[in-house]
Amino acid sequence: MTHTLHRLGRERKYLEEDFVVLVMPSKDINHEGSGPKLRRFLDMALEAGAIKIGDCRKGNEYHQGGIDQVLENVEDRGVVHAVFRDIRALTSLLARLKEADLGMSVVVSGLFDRVEQCCREVGLEKHTVNQSLGRWGRTEKLPADPILELNTMCGHGMVTVSLIEEVVGQVKAGDCTPEEGAERLFRPCMCGIFNPHRAVKLIRAFVSS
Amino acid sequence: MKIDQELCIGCGQCVPYCPVKAIALSEETAEIDFDECVECGNCLRSADCPVEAIYQQELAWPRSVRSILSDPLTIAVESGISGRGTEEMKTNEVTGRFRRGYAGIGLEIGRPILGARLSDVDKIAQAVARMGVEFETINPTTSLMSDPKTGKFKEDVLNEKVLSAILEFSLKLERLPELFDILKKVAGDIDTVFTADLACRVNPDGSVPTEPYTEAAGLWLAPNGKVNIGLGRPRFPEDSQ
Repeated sequence: MTHTLHRLGRERKYLEEDFVVLVMPSKDINHEGSGPKLRRFLDMALEAGAIKIGDCRKGNEYHQGGIDQVLENVEDRGVVHAVFRDIRALTSLLARLKEADLGMSVVVSGLFDRVEQCCREVGLEKHTVNQSLGRWGRTEKLPADPILELNTMCGHGMVTVSLIEEVVGQVKAGDCTPEEGAERLFRPCMCGIFNPHRAVKLIRAFVSS
Repeated sequence: MKIDQELCIGCGQCVPYCPVKAIALSEETAEIDFDECVECGNCLRSADCPVEAIYQQELAWPRSVRSILSDPLTIAVESGISGRGTEEMKTNEVTGRFRRGYAGIGLEIGRPILGARLSDVDKIAQAVARMGVEFETINPTTSLMSDPKTGKFKEDVLNEKVLSAILEFSLKLERLPELFDILKKVAGDIDTVFTADLACRVNPDGSVPTEPYTEAAGLWLAPNGKVNIGLGRPRFPEDSQ
């Protein structure tokens, strides 16, 4: 379940605005009674400035019927996420998490040097890292990188190539704004880790290229 | 997944939601190529069919493996969590799954976009298994092997198509060059793509112990990835000392 890994980014400036924080318990070790702690994390993330939250087990805000439902339906075995667009908000959250000492595992996805910087600022240390070695095999069958950049923000592949092409076409034609298009792309991402803020910038770059 | 041909009005709204392009519009209705469909559920959940013509048919073995390895909301019996993988490095400070001196490896066949027949997953698994690796037992992909020691898959699942299947195992760091050679060779033998990743406990000085090996092999590393920041409790005993 490396769903927050392998987010392709051709330009560093866009990756500077793309961070995902995942929080989960471990089965049979600390999962009993973890639901309220996961819920507390989501509350803290929203207070810190998360632009999206989600739950792998129950689905995103559209699937569940709203942010309140995402918060209310968190279970003990949940795997919850928050998406951030800037490093200051992320740093603020990490400081709060350190203070709260929820006892849940926390994984931050983003530029390694930026995540390390955040950790250093709040007195946390990297424990384990997970690095992507990219795509292997018949890579010539894959679509162009601008599409892959949008597609790989949903690690489960639910933001499809056809949907991306349709949305980009609609933006080009003036039938919807990049913001509306990005939100439409977010909807199928059940874990809620697709970053619509970064998507707006990628769509704009795509349309103008 | 199926579309009720009596109800479908052929609006095409579901077509772009299929990640493997298995939905096509015929003369008056949309139809799903049943052999290509990976049972991910995306069309049913997200396409907002105006006449509710999309429905989930019964998923019997071996087709049921498509849903387990494609639908992000399906909870695998083996791992107890949603999705097709495991806790892997995400809870490593609690489980001690990947200890110092070892690397965790994840090979996700079919990702991104293309999907994979399990026959291709079988090829990679058998190639890697020759190193004597032990595949992660609570990963649902491992359960599809008839013999996890050889990496051979059960015959009746080989033609099943899934969005992706993850092979997970760990190795001593010094065996990484051997693995990289195998992956370079087997990458040419399959009809799809796969992503590869490495997980490891960082060194006390913060450096990453796998990096000398990837650098020596001339492998590309993404500038972004996942960092477990060690907040889970109780800590695995190795970390508590």
